[in-house]
Amino acid sequence: MSAVIQNTGIPADVAGATGARLAIRRFLANRIAVVGLVVVILFILFCFVGPFVHPTDQLHTALSSANRAPSGAHPLGTDATGHDELGRLMYGGKVSLLVGLAAGLLATVIGTLWGAVAGYAGGWVDTVMMRVVDAGIAIPALFILLVISAISTPSLSGLILILGLVSWLVPSRLIRAETLSLKNRDYVLTLRAIGGGHGRAITRHVLPNSVSTIVVAATFQVADAILLVAYVSYLGLGVQAPATDWGGMLSAGLTAAYSGRWWLILPPGLAVILVVCAFNAIGDGLRDVFDVKGR
Amino acid sequence: MATTLYLLRRLLQAVVVIFIVTVVVFCLLHSLPGGPARGILGAQATPQQLAQFNREQGLDKPLVVQYVIYLGQLLRGDLGVSYTYNQSVAQLIVQRLPKTLVLTILQAVVALVIAIPLGMWQAARRNRPIDYVITTVSFVAYSAPAFFLGLILIIVFSQTIRLFPSTAPGGDTLASVFAQPQALVLPVVTGAAAMVAVFSRYMRSSTLENLGEDYVRTARAGGASGTGILVRHVFRNSLTSVVAMLGYYVPVLFGGSLVVEQLFNYPGMGLLFWNAAQSSDYPVLLGCVLIISVATVVGTLLADVLQTIIDPRVKAGRA
Amino acid sequence: MTTTDVSKPILEIQGLGIDFSTESGTVHAVRGVDLHVRPGETLALVGESGSGKSSVALAAMGLLSNNATASGSIVVGDLDIVSADEGALRGVRGSTVSMVFQEPATALDPLTRIGWQIAEVVRNHRPVSKADAFAEAVDLLRRVGIPDPDSRASAFPFQLSGGQRQRVVIAMAIANSPRLLIADEPTTALDVTVQAEILELLRKLAVDTGTGVLLVTHNMGVVADFADRVAVMLRGEIVETGSVEEVLLTPQHEYTQGLLAAVPRLSTEFDSDAGTAAETPAEPVISLTDVTVRFGRGAHTVHALDSVSFDVRAGETVGLVGESGSGKSTAARVALGLIKPTSGAVGLFGQDLRTLRGRARRTLQSGIGVVLQDPVASLDARMSVGEIIAEPLRVHRRGIGGAERARLVAEALEAVRLPASMAWRAPRELSGGQRQRVSLARALVLKPRLLVADEPTSALDVSVQKSVLEVIGELQSHLGFACLFVSHDLAVVQDFCSRVVVMRNGRIEEQGLTGHTLVDPTTDYTRRLLAAVPVPDPIVQRDRRQARLAALAAVTTTESLEQDHA
Repeated sequence: MSAVIQNTGIPADVAGATGARLAIRRFLANRIAVVGLVVVILFILFCFVGPFVHPTDQLHTALSSANRAPSGAHPLGTDATGHDELGRLMYGGKVSLLVGLAAGLLATVIGTLWGAVAGYAGGWVDTVMMRVVDAGIAIPALFILLVISAISTPSLSGLILILGLVSWLVPSRLIRAETLSLKNRDYVLTLRAIGGGHGRAITRHVLPNSVSTIVVAATFQVADAILLVAYVSYLGLGVQAPATDWGGMLSAGLTAAYSGRWWLILPPGLAVILVVCAFNAIGDGLRDVFDVKGR
Repeated sequence: MATTLYLLRRLLQAVVVIFIVTVVVFCLLHSLPGGPARGILGAQATPQQLAQFNREQGLDKPLVVQYVIYLGQLLRGDLGVSYTYNQSVAQLIVQRLPKTLVLTILQAVVALVIAIPLGMWQAARRNRPIDYVITTVSFVAYSAPAFFLGLILIIVFSQTIRLFPSTAPGGDTLASVFAQPQALVLPVVTGAAAMVAVFSRYMRSSTLENLGEDYVRTARAGGASGTGILVRHVFRNSLTSVVAMLGYYVPVLFGGSLVVEQLFNYPGMGLLFWNAAQSSDYPVLLGCVLIISVATVVGTLLADVLQTIIDPRVKAGRA
Repeated sequence: MTTTDVSKPILEIQGLGIDFSTESGTVHAVRGVDLHVRPGETLALVGESGSGKSSVALAAMGLLSNNATASGSIVVGDLDIVSADEGALRGVRGSTVSMVFQEPATALDPLTRIGWQIAEVVRNHRPVSKADAFAEAVDLLRRVGIPDPDSRASAFPFQLSGGQRQRVVIAMAIANSPRLLIADEPTTALDVTVQAEILELLRKLAVDTGTGVLLVTHNMGVVADFADRVAVMLRGEIVETGSVEEVLLTPQHEYTQGLLAAVPRLSTEFDSDAGTAAETPAEPVISLTDVTVRFGRGAHTVHALDSVSFDVRAGETVGLVGESGSGKSTAARVALGLIKPTSGAVGLFGQDLRTLRGRARRTLQSGIGVVLQDPVASLDARMSVGEIIAEPLRVHRRGIGGAERARLVAEALEAVRLPASMAWRAPRELSGGQRQRVSLARALVLKPRLLVADEPTSALDVSVQKSVLEVIGELQSHLGFACLFVSHDLAVVQDFCSRVVVMRNGRIEEQGLTGHTLVDPTTDYTRRLLAAVPVPDPIVQRDRRQARLAALAAVTTTESLEQDHA
């Protein structure tokens, strides 16, 4: 009889395959995601280690060597103020990546807290909080950003804060939906029925089980934030010269592009596309790994 | 009956959302440097003018009272006067909004007409080389900043092979937009590219999800062919989630109009807004934010109505 | 049909093997299966979860998922399904052979009107116009017993009940008069009275048309009710085949014997001793008095519970039974304090749950243990078994140290007959029965005075169910807790509970001692409920079926009168 009880129809070695190994295998099976991960790593190396291999002066203008076409000394030419374009790509990339990562993570944190509270509290608290999110989503972020740029020029950390504040809305919806389903899971109900508190339910069950959703949301959020940083520079809200980012390089090179100086605009443009693609691809892969719904 | 109730509830939600938007815009108005008086009178106003304005407009009263006054002005359609155009903001917006709507609707229609069949086709060919190619192209289209994509399109199609003009026709009337239809091609393509990417991805995954549903197995057990199942069952079921997604995408479309209109010099709300930002024309800026947000809410509402038409479960409160 | 046709099987399976390639390697789900179905006969393929019986059914339709490969031969009519191409398979699916699935809730396209879904099957195989096919669909709906088929044909699936949806699926299956019908757990998702109706419908259709039926099920009562012959599957292989009488009454294989011994059987003998147990008046540990629960407002108000009163006294086990939507789970959740009653009182251990807040309420709640239905959803996958069982200790006995906690966890594991080393395992490594026993260990680690068990065994195989129930019973006699046992399974309740509360549509239909109420009930409803339970004895079941149909025929006339008055 006991042989019958133990039999679940699934061979023990299959049921016992560990979660971590399975997760890695699933991620690696998604070729595009793996390529994305490689691209992100290469870009981080390029921006943060690259300057040691290809040192350039990005602080001082050198008008004597301005507007050069690509050559041996300047593989990607120079811009209108004489900065080496390849070096500038590394220099601007640091800002794009750092601001993008920070703003994306900030947005995820705000969105997670907001969504988790709304979803767990339910009732009118949820209704009010979600109408605020609806209102926030109704005002297109680019419009708000342009209004802010007309009012002031923020510092780097101010920029991160602003970007975080305009992009937490979508993750908050995702996390709310997740919390809503988690708080009615049987194990949470069981805990509540025997007198367990809300604090325990949230910290022990709801949040740990939302981690996969949060991680996936964060990855997509970083991708969007890097894209948004480019837009923000284009709108005139970006970091101030001599600092720059890929978006700043793009808008600085716009007019030059019409006269055929492709090297001022293609490299930063492609860099943005590649990195944003890469983060999106990683997000896709992680979603497969965690089997997360949405987006 | 159930439909009416559902739509009434959604309408009420929309009104609440618009109310919150007015609060946000009101707060923005008060965070302007020098307060709303400076924002409305412009940078050249003297301190005396500011003080007088504050008295006249009740700006020395408590914020709540001011908000009520502000709301009253909105309800009368008074959005203030632009100090660069010397024209009421409401009038400016009435001229520009239809053009933006035409552009965004064109973008959305073009994008959906391409994305929906593309997504289904990808799902049917999942994990084959062509699926990977389209997926990669989608990722690129989604990840390219619109201004960069537009620039490349202008350089290629306008400067190099001179197929389409790079600027949209001017003029005040809506008819002038259509006077030169080929000038709309590049703005529409630029605005639609990211949307094609998003919706084809979404349609692909939605189709794949539906292909795994039990009802597909039932249909197969009844002798239906693969194409028949896709066309008769999976298409409509996948479409419901795509339409639900459409509501979320309305604000993105309007946001994109800002860049597209500026890039192609298309005389809509986005360009009005852009120029107002360059000249710190606050009444126009805030008026545009308000109206574009209301348009977004209405657009989202329309997407919901569309969904009740496609999915009978929505109005019964079962979906 | 000629006599030679009759003797030739409509389905002939030989040496069937099915392999699934999964992320963690290849699984040999089915090995060397031989079976056949002749026209007009019903072969039941029985087995527990994971035995491979459903894979055999899907393979016979050529509907295995993409990661599966079949070997051997499956001949339907003249076509070998294993080697046939998609075009040939499409030709036989829905015409020569068709299928009825387990889950009526998801088997139909939610956005297509049911009439058109049936018409589509007609048009897949016969060149008829859309209008004619739709008219045929209406006829088919009438044949499968859908009331008012003309207007119902235009309904969407969500507007139908589960039983009606299953009738629609059956209508699709018989649309082209198939010679073989494959039914994969066709009544598992349905209530017992609806199950009886669906089985009656399938039997009638099969007899009328001489269709061969391959019935896949885990329910021995359904087998006894419906099958002519039985094949028993264990871990991908058939271990015993024979006539229904042979297999169910004189099983040869050890596994079949064990399986049949584990099936709870409905007793029909009036228990005259039962009265004595309740004579001793014990105080109630939980009591619901006039509890009403309403969800929603206005026209959409749902009366989940309507003036429900019952209590559970110290040491006794009370069964809460009813069909889906009867409110039995809602009542259990009210008792657990998870749902606030709209009106009425809930007394827990002599105190009013409504007036208690904060600490006092939580302390009171520490006397409750909970086991819920879903073995997967009941355990947080991110915790180890040890952490899960220790959770109540962490809530209510914060003072104790880690070593003491580990000792209590080990003790609890031992009490539910699991090795103490299991504390380090993850829930995902456990079988369904093991998971439910972990749930039970968690519920009992605080030595509660009341155990609330909401369908604790309905997701489990019968043999596993038996062992879990044994553990609960044993611990109860040991620890003396009272138990509120929610179940849809009358046989289990009869066996396990001393008193029973029968619920229907949010109201209590009747309550009393199990030995009385579930043998000789006072209400027609309970009588009908009992009559619909199939027993795993083909001879007894044949008589019960006749009796039930006769009673039903008598009742329908009075009921239609009642409904006219309402």
